Amino acid sequence: MPSKIRELITEMCARVPYQPPAVLLMVTCALLAAYPAVGRAVPAYGRITGIVHLVALGGAPLRSGAYPSRQVNRKTPEAAEIANVVVFVKDAPVESNLPVTRVGISQRDEAFVPRVSAITRASTVEFPNFDSYFHNVFSLSRGATFDLGRFRKGEKRERTFPRAGVIKVYCHIHSEMAATIMVFDHRLYATPAADGVFAISDVPPGTYQLSAWHERIGETTKAIQVVAGESASIEFSLPVVDR
Amino acid sequence: MAHKTPPRFVVRTLIATLATVAFVLSAVLLVVTLSVRGRVRDGVVDKLGTGQRLLGALEERRADELRAQVATLAENSTLKAALDTYQTELQTTSPAGRQDLVTTIKGELKKLVDRIQPDVLEVRDPSGTLLAVAGRLADEWPAAGRLHAAHADADATVVTTTAGVFRIATVPVTLQGTKLGTLGLANALDERYALELSDLSGARTLILSGDRVIASTLPPEPVMALTPEVIRAMAMNDVVPLGGSDYAVKRLLQQGTAQVYVLDSIDASARPVVQGALRTMGGIALGAFALAGLASVWLSRTIARPIDTLSASLSGMTRTRDFDHPLLPGGDSLEVDTLTAAFNTMMQSVKAAEAETLSAYLGTIRALALALDARDPYTAGHSERVSAVSLAIGRCMSLDETELEVLRLGALLHDIGKIGISDHVLMKPGPLTDEEYEMIKQHPGVGARILRSVPFLEPHIPIVELHHERPDGKGYPHGLRGTEIPLVATIVHVADAFDAMTSARAYRPALDTSEGLRELWRCAGSQFDAEVVQALARVLPSIDLSAANTETRLKRVAGPVSLRALRA
Repeated sequence: MPSKIRELITEMCARVPYQPPAVLLMVTCALLAAYPAVGRAVPAYGRITGIVHLVALGGAPLRSGAYPSRQVNRKTPEAAEIANVVVFVKDAPVESNLPVTRVGISQRDEAFVPRVSAITRASTVEFPNFDSYFHNVFSLSRGATFDLGRFRKGEKRERTFPRAGVIKVYCHIHSEMAATIMVFDHRLYATPAADGVFAISDVPPGTYQLSAWHERIGETTKAIQVVAGESASIEFSLPVVDR
Repeated sequence: MAHKTPPRFVVRTLIATLATVAFVLSAVLLVVTLSVRGRVRDGVVDKLGTGQRLLGALEERRADELRAQVATLAENSTLKAALDTYQTELQTTSPAGRQDLVTTIKGELKKLVDRIQPDVLEVRDPSGTLLAVAGRLADEWPAAGRLHAAHADADATVVTTTAGVFRIATVPVTLQGTKLGTLGLANALDERYALELSDLSGARTLILSGDRVIASTLPPEPVMALTPEVIRAMAMNDVVPLGGSDYAVKRLLQQGTAQVYVLDSIDASARPVVQGALRTMGGIALGAFALAGLASVWLSRTIARPIDTLSASLSGMTRTRDFDHPLLPGGDSLEVDTLTAAFNTMMQSVKAAEAETLSAYLGTIRALALALDARDPYTAGHSERVSAVSLAIGRCMSLDETELEVLRLGALLHDIGKIGISDHVLMKPGPLTDEEYEMIKQHPGVGARILRSVPFLEPHIPIVELHHERPDGKGYPHGLRGTEIPLVATIVHVADAFDAMTSARAYRPALDTSEGLRELWRCAGSQFDAEVVQALARVLPSIDLSAANTETRLKRVAGPVSLRALRA
């Protein structure tokens, strides 16, 4: 039962990302509501909440390559830079019994969408091609080296990642296409919402190294102490130009 | 003393013509050579100028191509992926893991290098540290240092390294707006490049770094002559002297310390042109010499041949002593014909003068002989008759014209020596004393002495001196025998005796001709030559009449010699 409550709360948090006070209120209410239960069974996990700010001053991004990609004319607007951030507990214990997921990274307008994905170990990533030309998916990363070959519009390729690590995937045909898949051995990671707020639940008490990773600047790590039944909060300021 | 023979006319004309032709040809040759050299020099400088512009444009294009090439290479997705993966995992992996990723990058570079065969292809990370390098000259490529940090990204330039001079183009490798590193593509400006430039320009190439020769297609001598002064001069001038030869020079490129020059030897370029001109000139010269030689030979022949003909006819005339026929004009040369005519005129005058002189001589001699004969009425006409008889005998005995002439005059003068004998001895009616006879015997010697003083009468001396010699040796003055006595003398001896016998004398009457002949026959062989007597006997009938006429006429006049008698 408590796990269901946790999921509920997490889901609630995720669904109302634009109202942090409301979230806090709800969390408090939930905690108050749960209090009798706490009395019955001491909560074993703490929680991490926080916000990621992209703080770099504006500037013109580098001209990208000798042959600019079709991104200049892309129909769908590019996702905000915050979407390319993943927050995770760096020294989290390896969980042996992880739930697996199936996520999709579309190939659309000569780009991987989303550019950054985070999955648990042994999860599967699908690569559907939505462009009217061929695409390819390959990786040279030490965590997983593969080449899924070329495929046309409407087709898709998929790949399961049995080892944790940062996997960079590219398209042989379009040199400007790149995506990052972060494969974790645990569930202690989160992707910030559009406003930068994130939350990681079910964190065993202890002191951890919490990292905020961005595809261009890599990891920014901070220490955090998590107390059972409590919520530790943290704030990251990443020097990334938000487009 | 050896007299030097003057050269023939043809030799002179040949020498004069050929020397003129040779001089003109030499002058033309000199002018042609100089002008060819000047033209070639201008041409070479022009050509190099064009080459400089063309190669300059080509170099621009090469730089652009290098830039385009490296930009294309930078878009190689696998290289990008390898570089991006390296950057991503840099923080998380061990040094060994990083080395693996660098190896991946190097592997990608090698694949690219295999495709385009550049001299150097290098990858640096965003901080400028060399990550990997591949290519033909990868081993010599300096690993340390920020090689071209001073130059902007995506630029092409020329740098000098320890490995040599390179043209390098660099371009940033970006992925989604992030700079992953820098890709550099470099081609060495080395011997191979120099050779290529030489092939394209048709000239020599020189690549310098500062004063150091990096590569060159020049021969060794000019390279040895490359001092810093010369190198500075090359930057200023179109033409520099290099190792004993003039080189046209143009700078193709200068970047940093690196300089690329194209050079062309003016002498080497001029040589084939000059040689071609010389060959043509040689042909022309040969033709000119041949023509000049032929012309001078022909010319000299047109002058010399009539002269040769003339002198040949002259020497022929001299040899045959035939001066009666005039020389015929050759018709080849007006001047020679005029000369021939003048010669003919001169010969005529000479001949006329000679004939006049001769007749004057003859007249004188005859007058002398007649004067002698006239001292004694009995011997009047004697010399004339002896001469006529001697001539008749000589003709009968087939003497030639010259001998007959000698005979005729000699007979006329045979008694000239009697001029020194006193009248009383000469005209003594009675027999002579021994003394007187001795005086008579002196007359041939006296006559000979008189004749010796006149060179013209030399041929007649034997007749005058020896006309009293006898075949039996009993004659005077020398007492010669038989064949020792010249024939003409014996003829005159016989004719003299015959005339003496057939003429009247103071102490006896004239003998009949047949009696005289008989008397001669009687003494033939001893006192007279038998053959001559025989000849006289044969010709006597034909001369008898005239001789008799003269005799009777002279007898009738019986005084000084008349003009008529002289003429006869």
